[in-house]
Amino acid sequence: MIEVSDLKKEYLEEETPTRALRGVTFSIEKGEFVSVMGPSGSGKSTLLHILSFLDRPTGGSYKFQGKSIDEMTDKELAQVRNKDMGFVFQSFNLLSRLTVYDNVEIPLLYSDIPPSKRATLVEEAVRSVGLEEKLHTEAGKLSGGQKQRVAIARALVTDPNIIFADEPTGNLDSESGLQVMEILESLNDKGRTVVLVTHETQTAEFANRIIRIKDGMIESDKEIIANRHHRGNLK
Amino acid sequence: MLFRDAFKTSTRSLTHGKMRSILTMLGIVIGIASVIILMSIGQSAQDLIINQVQSVGSNLIVVIPGTPSNGKFSPSAAEQGIVVTTLRQKDIDALEREPSIDAAAPLVSGQAEIVYGNNNKIVSYQGVTANMFVIRNLTVGKGFAFTKADVDSANHVIVIGPGLATTLFGPYVNPIDKIIRMKNISFRVVGVLAKGGTGAFGVDQGNIAIIPITIAQKQLLGISYFSTALVQANQKYDITFAESRIRFTLRQSHGITDPNKDDFNILTQADILSILGTITSVLTLFLAAIASISLIVGGIGIMNIMLVSVTERTREIGLRKAVGATNNDILQQFLIESVLLTFIGGIIGIAIGAGIVGLIYFVLSTFFSIGWVFAFPISAVILGLAVSGIAGMAFGIYPAYQAGKKNPIDALRYE
Repeated sequence: MIEVSDLKKEYLEEETPTRALRGVTFSIEKGEFVSVMGPSGSGKSTLLHILSFLDRPTGGSYKFQGKSIDEMTDKELAQVRNKDMGFVFQSFNLLSRLTVYDNVEIPLLYSDIPPSKRATLVEEAVRSVGLEEKLHTEAGKLSGGQKQRVAIARALVTDPNIIFADEPTGNLDSESGLQVMEILESLNDKGRTVVLVTHETQTAEFANRIIRIKDGMIESDKEIIANRHHRGNLK
Repeated sequence: MLFRDAFKTSTRSLTHGKMRSILTMLGIVIGIASVIILMSIGQSAQDLIINQVQSVGSNLIVVIPGTPSNGKFSPSAAEQGIVVTTLRQKDIDALEREPSIDAAAPLVSGQAEIVYGNNNKIVSYQGVTANMFVIRNLTVGKGFAFTKADVDSANHVIVIGPGLATTLFGPYVNPIDKIIRMKNISFRVVGVLAKGGTGAFGVDQGNIAIIPITIAQKQLLGISYFSTALVQANQKYDITFAESRIRFTLRQSHGITDPNKDDFNILTQADILSILGTITSVLTLFLAAIASISLIVGGIGIMNIMLVSVTERTREIGLRKAVGATNNDILQQFLIESVLLTFIGGIIGIAIGAGIVGLIYFVLSTFFSIGWVFAFPISAVILGLAVSGIAGMAFGIYPAYQAGKKNPIDALRYE
């Protein structure tokens, strides 16, 4: 599904080039649950942004579902983000004045799914995260855990092949974090690919593979037997 | 993104910040209302002036002595203060013999102080023949107009305007048969004109004094020529034919053989309407142009607020892009917001403008007895809506473009 080869990303910070990724090579198969770990500033978030088409690399190659990112226009990238990718952010990124329904509907506004089918899809997505009772509640009035579940529903509503989660438990208490990880885990169980960026070991251990990044390079890339029994120790 | 969805998203954004939206619209509301009011007042004034001119009768022709001016707007010799003495009684007599002409009425005018008791006022007076009252549709409200016999006998009689009557006699004294003095000559008031505002050709009928032309020429001005003649064409003849006959008659009377050496000007009602129409249209446009400055200020206000809005909503833009919005989707959303703001502002401005125009009409016609015409030109409404829509596009495009081109990841990271 994802093939990355010698991937590089350089920024210019006050005219000084900063190398966030220094040549990263790996691939992710369909249905995998991969955690990308690393200390702050290691380049893990940069990697996730490139993998999720939010940013472009400055070197190397990246193929998503067999197609190189270099061959795609910004409009095509936007279409892939809409159809094939779901996003869960650490800070939820919900529009607080809109209801849960309206927030979850946002990706559908940019899709080719006809308006008549939207209500069903939104309700299904919200039900799958257990928030059907909050469907018409303003997002700003929800707890942190509920907000992140709404964000997951929003990520799911277009039925994407892959979900990118950037520190999804970073702003949550342990119980809410656990709920969110269980939802991601169940999505993976149903065949969706999940790529998670975290600096928390317990959260990373929900995955079946952990890629450790340090100073913009892969330090280790190991498959693990999913350590999902440690749920109670999350955080 | 479907336009319907973009529209819904935009209206939702605007309603979430109601107070801001209303304040942002205010500039456009004021601008459009100003344009509407000024265009409407301009139209009403134009209609009023045209009505006044038309009320004199479409068969009226004005003869002004002096070499014809080159263009419509260059003043004639008489208007430039040059004394032209070519229009005389023999010309009037020749014109009255012409079958296509019903009547010819000469006129002289001047300014003088009128005194009654302790009251006085400097007024424009006109010396006219008795048939002038008929030709100019001058209605006498109290008393009577003076007669041909009064003119022929050079009787010291005077007809005054209603405003002048009030100034001299107050509201309770009947002016008829009272003696007033003008240039130390006594006149007996025989009539007061009916209220009717400004008379034809811009003469303030309210404060006018009309005396027999014989008195005016001999005793007040000491002249034997006329400053103007009003000619009433016979209805059976075409006005242009009558005009050509006047031209022919005056040339013959003045012994002119070269048409380029005419020593008189002929103005028909159509000429006067055309000149007045051009002047009032230019004035209306000029006023509308001034009012449109406030539209530009309002538009810049919208651009400013939209730029602030784009900055405030950077994370929202980032999120929308992350979940699939293209640059055009974002641009469309913000552009719809600014166009909606200006368009709704435009509609409110038109409504307020119409209300104020209605109020002006009510006040002028109720309290000032001015025959003000309620004019609310549809062109002003269309212009108002078009300008507000275009202002939204023009002033919204830059902020919308800024929003559309934001990099999703930079936008998501924005604090």
